[in-house]
Amino acid sequence: MASAISALSRVYEERAIQQRDLPLVGVTSNTAPWELLRAAGLHPILLSPRGPHAHRPNVYMEDGFAARIRAIFHFLISAESSPLSAVIIPRTSEQEHKLYLYLREVIRQGTERAPEPVLYNLLHARSREAEVYGLERTHDLKVTLERLTGRPVEPQALSSAIAEGNAARQAIRELLRLREGAHPKLHGSEALALIGAWYFMDHSEYAVVAREAVREIQKRPPLEGPRILIKGSPQDVPDSCAAVEAHGAIVVSEDDWWGSRAAGQDIDTTMDPVRAIFEKYYFDTPSLRVFPAAIADAWFHQNASQVDGVIFWLPDEDDVIGWDYPRLRAFLDERAIPHLMVRDGTSDEIGAFVERLHG
Amino acid sequence: MAEKQLACSGRAAAYQKAWFAQLREDVFETGKPYAIVQADMPLELFHAMDIPVVSNQWWAAMVAAKRLAPYYLDGLNALGYHDGLCRYCSLSLASSIAGDPKQAPWGGLPKPALLSARLTCDCIQRVFETWADKLGAPFVPLDAPAASELPPRWWELSRHRWNELFEGHRLDFMVAQFHSLIGALENITGRTFDVERLRALMEGVNQQEQYFEEVREMICLAPKTPIRMHEQVSNVMAAQWLRGSDWAIAHARSFRDEVKERVGSGIAACPSERLRLMWVGAGLWHDTDFYTAFEERYGAVFVWSMYLAFGPDGYIRYGLDDPLRALASRTVSFNEQLHNPPWANEWIVDQAKKHRIDAALVLEPLGSRPSATGNLFIERALEAAGVPVLPIVADMVDARGWNGVEMRLKVSQFLEALSSTAGRDRA
Repeated sequence: MASAISALSRVYEERAIQQRDLPLVGVTSNTAPWELLRAAGLHPILLSPRGPHAHRPNVYMEDGFAARIRAIFHFLISAESSPLSAVIIPRTSEQEHKLYLYLREVIRQGTERAPEPVLYNLLHARSREAEVYGLERTHDLKVTLERLTGRPVEPQALSSAIAEGNAARQAIRELLRLREGAHPKLHGSEALALIGAWYFMDHSEYAVVAREAVREIQKRPPLEGPRILIKGSPQDVPDSCAAVEAHGAIVVSEDDWWGSRAAGQDIDTTMDPVRAIFEKYYFDTPSLRVFPAAIADAWFHQNASQVDGVIFWLPDEDDVIGWDYPRLRAFLDERAIPHLMVRDGTSDEIGAFVERLHG
Repeated sequence: MAEKQLACSGRAAAYQKAWFAQLREDVFETGKPYAIVQADMPLELFHAMDIPVVSNQWWAAMVAAKRLAPYYLDGLNALGYHDGLCRYCSLSLASSIAGDPKQAPWGGLPKPALLSARLTCDCIQRVFETWADKLGAPFVPLDAPAASELPPRWWELSRHRWNELFEGHRLDFMVAQFHSLIGALENITGRTFDVERLRALMEGVNQQEQYFEEVREMICLAPKTPIRMHEQVSNVMAAQWLRGSDWAIAHARSFRDEVKERVGSGIAACPSERLRLMWVGAGLWHDTDFYTAFEERYGAVFVWSMYLAFGPDGYIRYGLDDPLRALASRTVSFNEQLHNPPWANEWIVDQAKKHRIDAALVLEPLGSRPSATGNLFIERALEAAGVPVLPIVADMVDARGWNGVEMRLKVSQFLEALSSTAGRDRA
C-alpha cells in the first residue's frame, strides 16, 4: 500500500482533472472560497497545469503574463478542460482579471471554447469600503453558484463545508509544525507537495491522508542544515526549494500560499457562515494585492527571525514582489539576518550563500 | 525635434511650464498643498478643492523627454529595484528617490501634501506606498474592482447610459471611496467640498471634450490630416491634466479653431500624405521625432493616437444630477477601455475605420509589462479589419534598450512592403 506521503505527492504532481461525483469547477487561486463552492454542491479544484500548456505559443496572451496564468488559459481553451462546468477567478491579481477578460473574449468571438468564467470580485486593500464590497460580492457569488447548480446553498451545507475545510487546515498546521524549531523533519520541496495536494483533492479526504503523513514523518530523524525562508514569486512547483536544498540547506518556510501560508487560521464557526467565509478570504489569505504593506509584511516579519537565512526568489517573470525586496531587505539588515536575492537561480550563488550559513 | 505647426502648441507648452513654476513657488513659499496622482484618478475632485495635481504619467513623460530616464532608472535599479519592474509608472518615483531630484525637469517635484492612485496593476500600490513613505506624505488609494460586464461597443453607451454601462456595484463602491478621498482633501485644505463646484467642472469637461470631438471629426473627414499626432497629444494632454478649468476649455476651443482654420484653408500636416498611420499605446516619450520620421520618404503620417480620440468617448458624461456618480463612471474603467478586450480592440478598430487608417504600429512595452496586455487582441482585430500591424517592442519612457536607427529601418521596411502592396492593388 502506498504511503500517505507518496499518495499526497502523487496528487500534487499529477494535478489531475477527473470526473467526480460532484460537478467540477476550476479555481485559479487560493482566494476562491472553497467552502462556498463545496456547499453549492461543486467539487473545486485548483488549476495549475504543468507540461505542454505552459509552453504553447502566445496567440492571445502577451509575454508579460506569468507562465502559470498562461498555462491556465491554454488549459481552459483546450479539450482537457471539458470536465469543468465553470472556472472561478478571484480578483486577487491583475493577471487573473485579465485572464477572466481574455476567456470571455475568446468565447465571445467564437474562436475558442472554454468553461464559463465567473469573476469573484474580492478586493484586498484593507478599508471599510473594500470590506463591505467584498462581503456583497461573496453573497453575489453564492447567487451565481445557485444559478449554476440550480439549487440553493443551504446553511447546513455551508457549516459542513466549513468543518471540512477547517479539518484540512488543521492537518496542514500539523505538517507545518514538523518544519519548526532547530531540527525540522521535513524538507521544503517535500512540504510543498504535501501541503499543495490540498488544492487538488477533497478537503475531508486530504485531512485524513495528511494526518497519516504527519505520523509517518514524525518517525523520521531530525534534519540538519541551515534553515531557509523563501520569499518571492508563487512556488507552484518545488524547483526553488529543490535548488536550495541541493546545497544542504532546509527550506522551512515560504511566504507563499503554496507553502507555509496555505492554511492560516480556521474559519470562524460562530458567525453567519457566508460572512465567516468572506472574512477568512479577506483577512487571512495571502494575495499580491494585500494593502498596506504593514499588513502584507506581517507574516514575513514574524517568521524571518525564526530562520538562519532568507532567499528572495524573483525570477524573470516577476514584476511585483521586486517592489517589496528593498524594503524587506532593509528589515533583515537591521536584524543582521543573512539574505540572498536570486533572479536566474544560478547554483553557484545559492551554494555560496548556504556555505556561508554553514560557516 | 520636429517643428510645431500649430501656434496653440507653443502656447500649451509655455502654459504648462509656467503652471509648474507657479506650483513650485506656491509649495515652497506659501506651503500650498498639491498632490501627485496616477493618471486615471478623478482629478476633478482635486480641482474642485483647488488642489493642483501632478500626474505620475505626465511627469514620467517629461523626464523621458528630457532624456533623463536612463539616469533615474539606473539609480532605481542600484537601490535594489530590479530591472524587470514596470518603468512607466515608476520613473517619476525614481526622479524623487534615485539620483539627484534637482536634475529632474524644471527643478523637480516638490514634496506633495498627498499621493493618490487607483490600485489597478499589482505594482501600483507598491510604487505609491514606497513613494509616499520616502517623501513623508500620506497615500490615499482607491481600490479597483474588476469589470465583469463589458458590452463591446461601450462608446455608444458611455455618454448617456453610463449608469448601466459601468455596473452599479462598481459605481457605488467608487463613490464610497470618493467620500473618503474627499475627507482627506478637506483635511489638507481645511475647506469643505462643494458638489456644485464639481458639477460645474464636469460640465466644463464636457464642453472641452466636445471641442476635441470636433477636432477628431475634422481629422477623420479632411482629405489629409490637418495636424500631426504629436501635436494632437501635446495640446490635448495639456488641457486634460487641467480639465474643466477655464484655461483648459479656452485652450481646447483655440485648438479646435486653429485646426478648423487649417482644414478650411486646405492645409495638410504633410502635403505628401499617402499612408495614414495609427499609434496604439502610450507615447514614445523619449523619441517623439520618431512620429515624423516617415513623412518625407513614404508620405506616412501618424494621424491617430488614443490621447485625442479617447477624450470625447472616454470623458463626456451627460446627465449630471449626481456628479460624483458620473465622475465614478469616468474613473472606473480607463484600463478596460484602453487596454483590454473586448473594449480596447472593438474601439480601436472602429477608430481605425473612421480615420481611414492604412496601417497600425502597436507599442509592446516589455519594460512596462502590464501596459502590454490586450495587444494581441488589438492586433488580431486590426488585421481582421484589413489594417496591417507592426508591433514595436520598446518602452515608452526607458531609452536604454532603444535603437532609434534600427527601429526606423524596421518601420521603413514595413512601409515599403505596404506601399508596394498598395501599388499592386492600384495596378
